[in-house]
Amino acid sequence: MKLTGRTLAFSAALALAMGVMSGAAKAETMILASPQVPEGFDGDALKAHTQNVVTQVYENLIGYGKMEVDGQTVLNPDDLRGHLAESWTVSEDGKTWVFKLREGVLSPFGNEMTAEDVAWGWAKSLDQKRTGNFIARVSNVDSVEALSKYEVQFNLSAPSAILLSALTLYVPAIYDTTEVKKHITDEDPWALEWMQSNTAGFGAYHLDSLRADDQAVFVANPNYFGDQPYYDRIIYKEIPSEASRVTLLKAGQVQWIDRPSITQVVNMQADDNVKVERATSRSVAAARMNPTCDVFSDVRVRQAFNYAVDKDALNTAVFAGQADIARSIVSPIIAGSNQEHFAYDYDLEKAKALLTEAGYPDGIEEPVELLYSDAFWHQEPVAIQVADMLKKAGINAVPTRITSSEMRARAAPAVSDMCFFTWEDGPIVLDAVYSMFLMTHSAGVSNRAKYENPALDALIDEARQELDTDTRLALMDEAQKLWAADAPWILATYPATFEAMAPNVTGWTYYPDEHERWRELRGD
Amino acid sequence: MSFQRFIFRRTLMVLPLLIGVVFITFMLVRIGGLDPVGRLAGPTATQAEFDMIRDNLGLDQPLWQQFGIYLGNVVQGDLGESWLSNRPVITDIKERAMVSLELLFWGVGLGALIGIPVGLRAAFRPNGKFDQVTRVLSLLGFSIPTYWLALVMIFVFFYLLGWAPPAIGRMSLLVTPPDAITGSYLIDGLLTANWQAAHSAASHLIMPVICLAIVSAAPIIKQTRAIAIEVLSSDTVRYAHACGLPERQVRKLVLRNSAVPVLTFVGTEVTGLVGTMSLIEYVFAWGGLGQYGLNAIISGDFTAVQGYVLVLALFSVMVFIVIDIVVHLIEPRSELN
Repeated sequence: MKLTGRTLAFSAALALAMGVMSGAAKAETMILASPQVPEGFDGDALKAHTQNVVTQVYENLIGYGKMEVDGQTVLNPDDLRGHLAESWTVSEDGKTWVFKLREGVLSPFGNEMTAEDVAWGWAKSLDQKRTGNFIARVSNVDSVEALSKYEVQFNLSAPSAILLSALTLYVPAIYDTTEVKKHITDEDPWALEWMQSNTAGFGAYHLDSLRADDQAVFVANPNYFGDQPYYDRIIYKEIPSEASRVTLLKAGQVQWIDRPSITQVVNMQADDNVKVERATSRSVAAARMNPTCDVFSDVRVRQAFNYAVDKDALNTAVFAGQADIARSIVSPIIAGSNQEHFAYDYDLEKAKALLTEAGYPDGIEEPVELLYSDAFWHQEPVAIQVADMLKKAGINAVPTRITSSEMRARAAPAVSDMCFFTWEDGPIVLDAVYSMFLMTHSAGVSNRAKYENPALDALIDEARQELDTDTRLALMDEAQKLWAADAPWILATYPATFEAMAPNVTGWTYYPDEHERWRELRGD
Repeated sequence: MSFQRFIFRRTLMVLPLLIGVVFITFMLVRIGGLDPVGRLAGPTATQAEFDMIRDNLGLDQPLWQQFGIYLGNVVQGDLGESWLSNRPVITDIKERAMVSLELLFWGVGLGALIGIPVGLRAAFRPNGKFDQVTRVLSLLGFSIPTYWLALVMIFVFFYLLGWAPPAIGRMSLLVTPPDAITGSYLIDGLLTANWQAAHSAASHLIMPVICLAIVSAAPIIKQTRAIAIEVLSSDTVRYAHACGLPERQVRKLVLRNSAVPVLTFVGTEVTGLVGTMSLIEYVFAWGGLGQYGLNAIISGDFTAVQGYVLVLALFSVMVFIVIDIVVHLIEPRSELN
């Protein structure tokens, strides 16, 4: 065929048109209905909807491998592999870790990830003294420094067996500092103001636009180092009413809804237009007793409260039987969880006997306020059910509602002034030592009711520095036993995590931070 | 009293009222247990950080001093910063005000368009069939919870019948919003000849507007009926009948004499419906001021709550001033004091 100018022009136009058409065909949008748009994009600020999205934008050095369990793909906490890091070495004393970064990792702005980016993110978290700082503290990280363009060194105060697990988290984040530093001011050295409405990470997605109280639109990072995600665009739409969210999902108007309540889960499980996925959660729903309050200072009283609560009935009444009964503060999805020590099966007579021993032969007539809020959907029904069950043991527990903001404020470690309240907590690292430190150690940020046992602290501190897995788990077994004997919580359930999506959406895997990864989802 | 003098006096009267509102809201928020420090500090904060944030927010000051600072800022147009959006409350409110006003305008407008004629017709034949039916409907409108009504409407008209668009906000997610001129997608779409946006905005308005119209029409019907019956039994109307005026002219007289109290009532309805509208906005993900206020209350964002209440109070006062003016225009004999 003779190549004329006209033929060339026609061919080019055809190729362009086909390219556009194939691009258009490939473009996939997922609409995700959430109660609220993100409150900002700084992962160090522990805000619910911020966390939902920063997990999609900021990826870290290490990732979990996956495995199949009962036909379901789950993370394998024992298989930690390089993600943004290629490899690593650790010094003999276990206090110096050097990570070799993957080369050629680009942000949406086209800047390459360097060791300086990693160090800057950690410096930010350490300075802000918020979530990232806690992660650093719990994994014994003192400082992080760039050795070369692709080598970053973590200096630890003591060996840490959970450092690698901690590096799977989205915070401390790795920022594209070439971009972020353009927005730094003297008053705002970490560009927090800019991060309220912008992102700059090396993850699969980045923020494209944000309309307060309306929607946030994320688009795929065109320079992402991994496979391009199936969905090019995610519209994170604020739909405050849960009933509306469910109706929209059933009607196929949205492909994902955020955190359905158990009532809606049961409703949607019977609907062919919706797919509901379930995973045993890493968190625990419980009623916590503050041992520094008079009534709970006697361990027998705390044990009596535990015996007086029928956990099976609680699961049926509140969680529609969909949760797992909790028998350890460490979730069974975490290696080292022992479900034997917390042996407080429902026994009303034993509860009364313990109360009598503790000096309450006629029960506790003085009202004991059982505080709850709407921070978690189950707080109120758990409080009501627990109070009702305690009445049978002669305990006058009074469910009392306070605002979620007040409860969050009072549950903060620096305050912790509530005597008896319902709450949910769990680790975002699948590690028994981390879990125990977080929720039971006197310095744990989720130890919200001033529980303190020096022997338990010592076991956890020892385990934090122990690198041998068997020894660590043995220490945590002992710690769980001690904690169970002290019975500072009425353990209720692992509430289970449910995700509701369109029937054609696949690829969901449960992550311990309870946020799906959009890059893993497909809609074909 | 001259018209200008009247406006000036009413504006002066607004000031102590607004100061009262600021004071009451400020105190209610503080004694209501909303503590922003815990929220701002986050669960990993130390006591020192708590103290620092408390100090930065001025919460370590005595309450009267805090109020003085807040009042001083309000006078300068600074309503504080929302911890939820991290932006000045006044900016948040400005962005959402038009969104809510649009819904309120169409909702109450439709409610009044239905309610006033229906109420009048019912009054002309009290206890007739029409009156009995409207009384039942009006009672239903009164008693149906707004939230439930909105959800049922979505379920029936969107999910079952597919007649209405999804309750996903003010416009389809697939349509690009028009350039902002007034803040109303419908009007902006029309002004910029973005027909697709205008069409989408109009279709998304239908359900929440009908919902608001149902809620607002019920009391308007009832009140209009009562007012018209009272006017019908007044000496003026009886005199008109006695003079042998044709029925059509008598009805015109009734309409004219009922206009002022009905209008005043519709005005109070507008201010009263602002609370109801929060729920409608919530269900339809409307993104207006009502949803903002409700979110602020739920989240303990007290600067936003204070700003929201203050703006609502200001709005109510303005509505009443406008009604006074309109009443004066309709009935020039009404006293301007």
